[in-house]
Parts: sequence; structure tokens; C-alpha cells
Amino acid sequence: MTVTVTPETFVMVLFDHDAIVAVAERVAAEVGLPPDLDIQIVVDEAIPLARVHIESIDPVVINVEGGAFEDPRHPRQLGEELVADTLGRLFFQVLDRRSPSFGDPGDDNDQDLSHKVAWDTYAVGRLQRLGYDGRHQVRLYAFRNRHGFSDTSDEAFNRLWTGQDLTWDEITRISDDAVALRSV
Amino acid sequence: MKVNLPPEELARDGRFIRTALLTRALDPRVTAVPREKRSPRVPLSPELPGSSEAARSLMHGIFTGEIQAMEGAGRTCWDFPIGDGPADAPYELKLDMARQCWDEARHCEISVKLGDWMGSEIGEFGEATFLYEAACNPDPVLRLTGVNRALEGLAIDVFNTMREFGSRAGDPVLEFCEDWMLADEVTHVKMGSDWLRRLTATDPERRARALEFQRIVDKLFSIGGARGEEEDSPIRLARRFRELAGFDTAEIDEIAQLSTDAREELYDRQDRAAATAAESPAGGVT
Repeated sequence: MTVTVTPETFVMVLFDHDAIVAVAERVAAEVGLPPDLDIQIVVDEAIPLARVHIESIDPVVINVEGGAFEDPRHPRQLGEELVADTLGRLFFQVLDRRSPSFGDPGDDNDQDLSHKVAWDTYAVGRLQRLGYDGRHQVRLYAFRNRHGFSDTSDEAFNRLWTGQDLTWDEITRISDDAVALRSV
Repeated sequence: MKVNLPPEELARDGRFIRTALLTRALDPRVTAVPREKRSPRVPLSPELPGSSEAARSLMHGIFTGEIQAMEGAGRTCWDFPIGDGPADAPYELKLDMARQCWDEARHCEISVKLGDWMGSEIGEFGEATFLYEAACNPDPVLRLTGVNRALEGLAIDVFNTMREFGSRAGDPVLEFCEDWMLADEVTHVKMGSDWLRRLTATDPERRARALEFQRIVDKLFSIGGARGEEEDSPIRLARRFRELAGFDTAEIDEIAQLSTDAREELYDRQDRAAATAAESPAGGVT
């Protein structure tokens, strides 16, 4: 597996290029990405926001805004736990996209926000089972914001969080059902 | 017990990390962002991607502000002798500050519970101590304009924005927490307005100094104009609640204008710094 992180030298933030590579290699292996896969992580260090985008799955190309890797307690410094959380979630979604049985989620940018949050929940739930923090309550709060603050919404969250081998159709159905009940 | 405790001596446990204001102010991603990279401003809304993260960060900032507001009000009870002179504080003012201290302590508890609900940990985000620093002014009237009228006024705008955020998201906990704290903040700002007028009734120069200090704090902490009345202002100026807190229309108009000015000045600085950076081989960043 070859992991490439650009830029090699950060000038606007105090990120350690090699540390990002090391975390990416470790998490990619633990998630189960194929060992012969090339991974390119393109960091836009000029933007302190945290949007991410999977540009391609072979080779894997991931665009990341610098804020996604930034320690919220130390401005401009790298938060290695956040790197692992962010990349772990995206690597699971790459794994899903590469699976023929998963279905077609379309481009990240075109997804319905509720579906996107539901898929994130499913990905981070698996990451947590690998031993990463996953920040369960943070994810639950993000899910509730999109699907409602109700027992029904929480049940949908739990199905995704503990889910295994879900398809895109199943994820969107769980999400849509929760959203539909929200407006009742 | 010390009089006028400096900000660096505030008691915090190991979970809190202090972020110097200059660290943020000199962040090249803020100071030198080229126009094409500048993210568009949008009102804070649960319909936006990343809004729950933005809400968590903002509410943690409010939480640390509540701690400092409690500390500041407590200091004002202690730092001045009782009296009516320019370096004194009337007993009734101290009673109001003691009441505010109690309110802020309750807000801290509310904020901790709200953080649990939203998934935030205490100390997850850096703490800037600007509110307490404004509460270190040696003149009690300037403390009241800097903290109660300017920064607690900003808190009114934030609480009102976040109350609406909670309502739109259907989050009953956020909505109620904000509504209850907002009610107290209106009272605190009103205390500032009332005491400003009372303590400077016969001293126009002192009143002018106090209002100038308020203008400086208002402009400095309009978050680069993020708090304002423009269509895309992330935090809306809460006119009605400010009226209830003792601001007249001209004063509210002035705050709105200060926010607009702060935004234009920020954009000008960014343009100039980006141009300088573009001419520098190292990107102008050290």
C-alpha cells in the first residue's frame, strides 16, 4: 500500500506530513483496504473548515480541508485522533464503494444530507468496533439533527451504528423511514 | 484574597487548554486567505452540513464564557470598596453582581449538561479568556460596559440564534437551555445599562470612556462581523431582546454598523495579506 499526502510541507498549519502518512497507513490496514491500493490524501491547508470528499476509489483520492485534521484545542496543530477518525470513516466508505453488492451511493457532493449522515453513522460504528473512539454521542447528536430527536430516530441510529454488511439501499431506507416519522 | 486577579491565574484543571487571542488573530488561514478561498458566510442553521459540529464548538465557547462571567462578576463584588466614588462600587451594584454570579454558576451547570447531550467533552475546544480580560478593567463602569453590555450582549445574540437553531432542529434540550439562559442574559445586560446610566449620571466624561470601551469590545468581538444583520450573518443581532435589555434603537444601529465595519476591515486585511503572501516565495507565512 502506498500512501501519499500532499502537500509534503505545510506552511499555513503546523501539520506533520509523516504523522498523517503513518496514521493513514495504520488505519487503512485495520479497516481492510487491499494492500496493493494506492491512497492519495490531498489536504487543503488554507481552509480551516472540515469538509471531505472521496474523489476516486482506485486509486483512492481523498480531498480534505485542513480543519478536519486540526486539534480543536490547539489551533493549526495536528490532531492525530481526528486524522484517524476522519480517515477511518472515509476508508470504510471507500470499502463500501468498492463492494459490488453495496450499491451506488453516487457522488459525495450529490448525496442527501440525511443519507450522508446515516452512512457516516454506519462507517463510524464499524470504526469504533476496531477500537477507535468514534465519539458515539457526537454521532448520535448529528444523526438526531437530521432525523429527529425521538426514540424512533435513536432506534434507526442504533441499527446503523451496530450494522454489518448493510447496503446503500438499506442505509437510505433506514434514514428515510426515520425522517418520515419525524414529520408525523 | 487578591484584588484584581490576572487572567493567567484563573483556576482551571488539566482539561482546559488556554488559546491566546493572538494565536487566532494571527492565524494565516484567517489573515491571508485569498478571495477565491474565502468560505461564504451563511446563517447558522441545522439544515447545513457540519452544523451540529459548529453548534458544539459554539456552545463550548459559551460554556467557557459562562465560567469567566461568573469569575468576573465575583471579582467585581470583591475588587472595589463599597462606596460612591469613581474607584468604588455601591453596595446595590455588588448585590446585582452577586446575583449575576449565581446565575452564571447555574449557566455553567446547564452548559455542562448541554455539552453531555451534544457529545462535547469539557475542554474539547480551546478556551480564550477575553471575557474575563474585559472584566479586569480597573473602573467598575468599564467592566459593566465591556462585559455586561458588550459581551453579554453578544451572548444574547448567540443564545437567540441557538434557540432558533434548536427549535428548527426539533432539539428540545438545546432550545430550552438557550431560552432559559437568554432570559438571564437580558437581565444581566439590563443591569449593565442601568448601572452605566446611574453611575455616570453626573460624569459625562466617564460615561463617554465607558461607551468607547464598549464600542471597542463590541467591534473586537463581533467575530469579524459574523454577528450582524446581513442576510448571511451566522449570528443574528437580536434587536428585540437588546431593547428589553436597555439598548435604544440608535445604540443597536451602531452595533450593527460596527459589525459591518469589522467585516469590511477583515476582508481588506485578508486581501492585503494574501497579496503580500502571493509575492513572497515562502507564501509569506512563518
